[in-house]
Amino acid sequence: MILVLFAIAVAIPLVLWSIGKIPLSYNLRNLTLRWKTTVMTALAFTAVIALLTVMMAFVNGMKKMTEGTGQPGNVLILADGATDETFSNLNVGDLTEIENLPEVARQNGRPMASRETLLVVNQLTPDPAGGYKRRFLQLRGIEDPQLSARVHGLRLLSGGTWFSEAGVQEASAPESKSDEAAPLIQAVLGEGVAHELGRARSEEELAEAKNRDRLDVGDTFLLGERRWVVVGVIDSAGSTFNSEIWAKRSLAAAMFGKDTYTTLVLQTEGAATAKQFKKFLAEDYKKAAVNAQVETEYYKSLSETTAQFSYAIGFIAVVMSIGGIFGVMNTMFAAISQRMGDIGVLRLLGYARWQILVSFLLESMVIALVGGLLGCILGSLSNGWTANSIVGGQGGGKLVVLQLAVNADIIATGLFLTLLMGLLGGLLPALSAMRLKPLDALR
Amino acid sequence: MKYLKLIFRNVGRNRLRSLLTVLVTVVLVFVVTLVWSVLWLLDQVTTEKSQNFSAMVTERWAIPSRLPFSYADPLSRGAAHKPGDIQPLDSMTWQFYGGTLDAKNFTRENIIFGIACEPEKLATMMDGLNDLPAEQESQLHEDIAQLKANRQGVNLGHNHLDATNKRIGERLKLTGIGNFKGLDLEFEIVGTFPAGRYDTLAAFNRDYYNNELDAYAARNNGRKHPLAERSLNLMVLKVPDRAAFTRLASQIESSPEFSNPAIKCETMASGISSMLESFRDLIWGMRWLLAPACLVTILLVIANAISISVRERRLELAVLKVLGFRPYQLLILVLGESLLLGSVAGLISAGLTYGIINWGLGGISFPIGFFDRFMIPTAALWWGPAIGGLASLLGSFLPAWSARGVKAANVFSKVA
Amino acid sequence: MNLIAGLDTPSQGEIWVGDQLISTMTEGQLASWRTRNIGFIFQFYHLLPVLTAYENVELPLLLLPLSAAQRKQQVTTILELVGLADRMYHRPGQLSGGQQQRVGIARAIVTDPTAIMADEPTGDLDARAAEEILNLLCMLRESLHKTIIMVTHDPRAAQRTHRLLHLEKGLLVEQVNA
Repeated sequence: MILVLFAIAVAIPLVLWSIGKIPLSYNLRNLTLRWKTTVMTALAFTAVIALLTVMMAFVNGMKKMTEGTGQPGNVLILADGATDETFSNLNVGDLTEIENLPEVARQNGRPMASRETLLVVNQLTPDPAGGYKRRFLQLRGIEDPQLSARVHGLRLLSGGTWFSEAGVQEASAPESKSDEAAPLIQAVLGEGVAHELGRARSEEELAEAKNRDRLDVGDTFLLGERRWVVVGVIDSAGSTFNSEIWAKRSLAAAMFGKDTYTTLVLQTEGAATAKQFKKFLAEDYKKAAVNAQVETEYYKSLSETTAQFSYAIGFIAVVMSIGGIFGVMNTMFAAISQRMGDIGVLRLLGYARWQILVSFLLESMVIALVGGLLGCILGSLSNGWTANSIVGGQGGGKLVVLQLAVNADIIATGLFLTLLMGLLGGLLPALSAMRLKPLDALR
Repeated sequence: MKYLKLIFRNVGRNRLRSLLTVLVTVVLVFVVTLVWSVLWLLDQVTTEKSQNFSAMVTERWAIPSRLPFSYADPLSRGAAHKPGDIQPLDSMTWQFYGGTLDAKNFTRENIIFGIACEPEKLATMMDGLNDLPAEQESQLHEDIAQLKANRQGVNLGHNHLDATNKRIGERLKLTGIGNFKGLDLEFEIVGTFPAGRYDTLAAFNRDYYNNELDAYAARNNGRKHPLAERSLNLMVLKVPDRAAFTRLASQIESSPEFSNPAIKCETMASGISSMLESFRDLIWGMRWLLAPACLVTILLVIANAISISVRERRLELAVLKVLGFRPYQLLILVLGESLLLGSVAGLISAGLTYGIINWGLGGISFPIGFFDRFMIPTAALWWGPAIGGLASLLGSFLPAWSARGVKAANVFSKVA
Repeated sequence: MNLIAGLDTPSQGEIWVGDQLISTMTEGQLASWRTRNIGFIFQFYHLLPVLTAYENVELPLLLLPLSAAQRKQQVTTILELVGLADRMYHRPGQLSGGQQQRVGIARAIVTDPTAIMADEPTGDLDARAAEEILNLLCMLRESLHKTIIMVTHDPRAAQRTHRLLHLEKGLLVEQVNA
């Protein structure tokens, strides 16, 4: 759809150029002659388009994250009535029953089921402005990490391992400052949260760090009065899991006072089976009431917030484009009033009215194109920036660390908008130029 | 001011251009005003106050914060044990509840999240409700009195009244959702809150709530509701100053009676700050990308318009010099013209924004955290002209300087 | 001038230029007719400031179905005729008044029109430049047989014409040249 609009937007000036008899060099040279005005007008377009590109990249990053999470063959189970994992409380008895249903895939006789408890905990971090501040982190308590990893289709980056059965390891004596060397809780981090946690390191810590960009295997951090150690980093490839900390459920749940499971993820044979299974659980399964969804659908529903953002961005784009349109209108009116002599001459020489119209329309579109193109380039620099956000709504929401993603659609939208602004802004002035009587123009 | 007449005439010389410039400024100042209003309120609530402010006691590590109700009593006394320990000036308990009007089909409109508390605290402990103008204050007191009188009464904010299409006096049946499943409550709407910040609030009697939790156990063979053990979500304590806060916080956090779960005591400002951390980058973008982009655009458009205007009038400016006007006077003339355009446009924009958003729409709907609506502060009325004025001064400085430097000799025709 | 050039329509009557009835032509037809049949020369030259002398002269040719090579030949020939071959690629801002007027004349004749309308062609020129221009116009009349219709206040220019008419109280009066 965007590509169609973009093609139209590009086609218009090209068509105009080919049918116009007044040489384009006339317009270009006038633009260069009045370069200060041209630059100021074009920069207004640059500001609008650059901003728009960054905002769209942000929303695109959010969308990619939510759409890139989940397996189509998995079914996600939450407690009945819970719309968010954090508000869900599952009954263990029900879980065992459900896990043993025939639709659930099995490996080595065990059901491919991941029992999880999602907790949101806060962590005290030093505030660059002085003092401390708290941030919220997603902690997923897992029973059997290897099993869960297979269910979710996640791998670790090389050099890491999953946490052990016990979930803790001994603190090596020199590191520990306290008298009682409490065992370190083992954790596996998503890349995004590893990056976030890594940002809180001091200059000295960074100098010695294995990886300046993020926490890596062997690094430790404080959470909830215990020290935790990173044993692996998840290669989560742009899913919401990259903003999570995984650790042994029994430890995490006990520490933070949540003793029920929040989530059960079941692997089935494939997408079709998953859909059937979800339907069965939602409608026909009577033994327990649960909220069952195909995993990819659940994560997609979280992108409800992206829809809200998109509306806000659309609104801002429209409003700011008014600035660009009226700005170029001012410029073109002034240019025409200054070049009335030229217009009169051209008409006298036999150039038709519509050719005058086309010429001035092209001129305003050239300004728009140059400004907008620069804006697209500037805006694209934001590609890969990391940003915090929350996806999902309704009182809950996942905290995610996402990457802004600029793609072809975004660039096409930016160019389309700038050409549209140029066309709309240049239309009225060009029409007025067209309607000038040659002899009045020459007076 | 002899300039004023000349300035007005010049602005009127090309009405279209002046109009276009003003329109752009009005529209872009509008966006900046929206953005700054949101940022302003967020800054306000996250700035540490120094006198008569509130502290918040919540669970130390986990979200959502869930504390046993038995904590309420000792906390209301600030965990004071030893002589010399201080107590808070006032306290308020908050117990969250969420329910829907339609259990089979819940939507955003028919879900109500509310708090169970002591009714009289609504007037003393809620920021924004404790300093109302006289008329609204008496109305609030009346509503609260009704709430106290009617055990199953509820005060609903305007948004809820609108969304559920109910009025004061009607009844409401809520089915608990999510964590509150199993707790179904019945209410009679006895009052509301002043329009603005508390449009999405619902408040009811904590006695009723606690009784219902007990009744649940009775209905289920003694099995308690999962929330019953920890139904208190947070407590708000009022302290006179920072010194008192620090002492109170250390009293509470070091007290052994709050060990399971552990609690923390922080200022409201700090608590809200933490919650906004997740939106840190979004807020940064609004403050340093969005608003500046609009400002830059205003500046460019005004600069463009003025420089075109100066260019067209070079001959006239030369004539003025011949007549005896000094360079600095020409500078003032151009700057004055630009300032007039910019600040008038800014004022119009601020006025319209304030009027339309606050009275027409009831605030900016921007759901971030638990904030729902942002009103435009009165300060915005001077932001508008300030932005317009400053942008025009900056933007027109170079063209004005060039106007100043026009050569009087230009007045004479060139030799062919 | 307006009426002859087809820029204005008469309230009454017909206008014939050569053997063409122009008072009933549509705007589009008039535009096309003007390119091929009339050339214009102005007191203030009215050259497009951003185009070079060459490009200014080429402008009317762009409306005709000529190839680039043909246009080039036509333009260079005409510019040589008016004596500006060495200044072909200069912009009006780099030319003197007399030179600009010569470009104006070149532009007026490049499409080989039958008639040339000259509106105060010497009005902005000093005596010497004016003389050059008038010589050029006479040459166009004698050698190229162009009809030149000129409006002027300049007595020297008036002297060089074959027929002289002036407006007196709204009536056109002919005056024979001495």
